[in-house]
Amino acid sequence: MSDKFTRAISVDEIAPGGMKAVEIGGNEIVVCNSGGRYFAVQRRCGHMNAPLDMGTIDGPYLTCPMHCAQFDVSTGEAISGPVPANSGHETPPPMLAAYLQNVGLLMKDVHTESIRTYATRVEGGWVQIAL
Amino acid sequence: MNVESRKKALRHFFEKVVGPLGFKFTPDTELVEFLLEQEVILEGRHGIPFCPCQPLRHDRARDMQIVCPCIPFHRSHFDAIKRCWCGLFVHKDVRDPDTLPQLSPKEAGLER
Repeated sequence: MSDKFTRAISVDEIAPGGMKAVEIGGNEIVVCNSGGRYFAVQRRCGHMNAPLDMGTIDGPYLTCPMHCAQFDVSTGEAISGPVPANSGHETPPPMLAAYLQNVGLLMKDVHTESIRTYATRVEGGWVQIAL
Repeated sequence: MNVESRKKALRHFFEKVVGPLGFKFTPDTELVEFLLEQEVILEGRHGIPFCPCQPLRHDRARDMQIVCPCIPFHRSHFDAIKRCWCGLFVHKDVRDPDTLPQLSPKEAGLER
């Protein structure tokens, strides 16, 4: 990672608990405001590439909007995989059971990877990111 | 997934729920670590951090009532004994959880 910081977004544009996607040099990045601390992570989820800026952030924990995989934005670590479609409490109708079985087969090799993080700093009212 | 990282995340999310309900994590840190670890294992198996001290009945309506923190579903009993069943959470005024009596709902006067 280089230590050359690039101006990414004004601090006024992200309220605490908010996120916003930016594109810098072809990189899709989400800037997160976690209680006044700014973090930058790759925009695409480590599970199935969903746009993470559409999710929610609570403290340092970002939840993906698609399957609820969770990441620690301070480290990029994946702390939870997707929520299972069926928790096994009820026997689904046959058509749905067949569908879930097929999805299960397709998804068994899909893993949730940790996401890339970028160093940030705030200077002159701007969040700067090191690419 | 890393168990320790997930435990830290569960602690973060649970604290936000139990605090406004008048509860806190038990001061017995060893118990907290153990129970959170069990919940991480249950979450890995079922996708949901169920209460580690209650059996799953494979009845969705009942099982959803033991998703940790299950305080809202068993409030009257937990308020009577000042702790939840497994002891992960205690009333905010509790300093020594070992002194709390473990009473059934009937013994606590909640059932006849």
